[in-house]
Amino acid sequence: MDYNHLELLESFTIWNLHQLLEAMMKNMSSTPRLKYFVLILTILCLATACATPPPISIDEALTAEKEEKLLWRRAQEEQQVINDSGWLYRDPELETYLNQVAAKLKAFTDSPDISFDIKIINDPNLNAFAFPNGVIYVHTGVLARMENEAQLAALLAHEMTHCTHRHSLRVLKSIKDQAGYMAAVQKTIEKVVMAQDLARFLGVNGSMAAVSGYTREFEAEADRVGLDLMAKAGYDPRQALNLFEHLQQEIEIEGIKEPFFLGTHPSVQQRMENLSQWLATDYSGNIGLINSEIFRSRLDKLVLDNARLDLRIGRFYAARRSVQKYLHRNQDDAGAYYLLGEIFRQQGQQDDMKKAIKLYERAIALDPSFPAPHKAMGLMHYKEGERRLAQKFFETCLLLSPNSPDKAYIQGYLQRCINSGEES
Amino acid sequence: MKKLLLLLISLGLIFGCAAAADKRSLKDLPKSDFSVEIPAGWWKPQYVNKYLITKDGPFLQYVLIQQRPIDRPFKNTKKKLRKRMLPLESARIIIDEIASDRNITNFKAVENTPAIIDGHAGFKILFTYKDKKGSMFKTLYYGFISNNTFFNLRYNAAIRQYYDKDIADFKKILSSFKLVEG
Repeated sequence: MDYNHLELLESFTIWNLHQLLEAMMKNMSSTPRLKYFVLILTILCLATACATPPPISIDEALTAEKEEKLLWRRAQEEQQVINDSGWLYRDPELETYLNQVAAKLKAFTDSPDISFDIKIINDPNLNAFAFPNGVIYVHTGVLARMENEAQLAALLAHEMTHCTHRHSLRVLKSIKDQAGYMAAVQKTIEKVVMAQDLARFLGVNGSMAAVSGYTREFEAEADRVGLDLMAKAGYDPRQALNLFEHLQQEIEIEGIKEPFFLGTHPSVQQRMENLSQWLATDYSGNIGLINSEIFRSRLDKLVLDNARLDLRIGRFYAARRSVQKYLHRNQDDAGAYYLLGEIFRQQGQQDDMKKAIKLYERAIALDPSFPAPHKAMGLMHYKEGERRLAQKFFETCLLLSPNSPDKAYIQGYLQRCINSGEES
Repeated sequence: MKKLLLLLISLGLIFGCAAAADKRSLKDLPKSDFSVEIPAGWWKPQYVNKYLITKDGPFLQYVLIQQRPIDRPFKNTKKKLRKRMLPLESARIIIDEIASDRNITNFKAVENTPAIIDGHAGFKILFTYKDKKGSMFKTLYYGFISNNTFFNLRYNAAIRQYYDKDIADFKKILSSFKLVEG
């Protein structure tokens, strides 16, 4: 077969407006009449836009209060999109815990008017971002990689400082026109590739300048004030630097793109140096709470759920580390052994199948009524041509889970096992 | 100035509509290793370099047929298809790929079952999702691996009004699908 033309058939998952417009623009040069048509339409749009005043003019010398209200209104609209997206990680107990930590920190801020609300996004990337109205979103990816409550406090204190020190508002006021502001914020967001799609999709380009990467000055302020906040709240400030180092290490090991929380590379290094310096000068000998045990117990489930997300996007190493971390504390969890087996099976490198089988067997030994490892064992034996063994596992799986979502596949494979047995 | 603008717009619309009418054909479909019979009324948007056809515009409904080497990376998942994969395994990768797509929300796999496409063992996935504006779409996705190539046919349409309207046409396209010996 000739694959030269396959460049034209590159896979994409969902056709959307963005792709359509891109395709149209690419083809402009080859269709002159269409080009003129779009050009005229563009003129029309510009003429219309020029004739219509912008909804809110920055040049109208709005007061800080009015500007802030505008920001908060935009923030609420954007939050609504996130909340309705199906991407929120729902665990009321965990949310309560995160908000309790935020409340401890808030007691030492000078902004009693901001009511903080911590929410979790079901996404394996190492991000967190704050809206100016105090709503902070933390990705499961960054939570799953933290080691203790003090590190959580470091992240929350940093993001809360963006709110309490009105960084969004200060960005807004420093830019003379709204278009310039929007462009500046968009540019900031685009610096961080991993967050780009999500930020764009969620329309996070107007009100928030939310995530790290406003300016180096604001990031430094958030680090400095955040460090002070966590220390005043009784946490060990050294954990802020540990968090940075730990995440940086994870990024390097996993070869993943840099997270929003840390910002872009040169500034990360600078920020880590700043933290080291502050710790040495202002917090020397300052020892506080770390709270590892309570943190881990609260986040156990999230660590495992995030491992599933890592597996979904093919980040096998990260998924494996998370499950192993979970198993360290929950040694009798059949589901975790099964998940680890799946990671090895799907990774499919040398000896991975043997490892997967052992893990499935362990899962079955722990919970013989758990159907998933039976199905996985059946599939592995089926592919190896070991039909009798496969038949046994498939039958057990269907017996344990008669309404399995994969029932039609398993029934088909089972039938072939039975037929091949009859033939032999 | 106003008159000139109006004149320009009118001319643009006339040329634009004429151009659009001209383009409603099936010409320029990419060269491929398969053949299908396409029912009347479907056309290929000229600005798309893919085997993509529509009846009322690609935002309302489209049929997309693709072929790709199995080792080509996906956009959202690092997982790869493999030659010896069972249809269940390849279906899971496609679901992972789509579920990880950040251009969509509220993804839900409604059905995942085995399917035979042109005599090849494959899979059928039915899923729904929302776009950024909150419009809901439904996709019927068939796929199979032949040698080192992954073939897939999908029908995507806005759930409201459009999905049911043209599903029969897609079924006809699907049943006419044949690999062409290269």
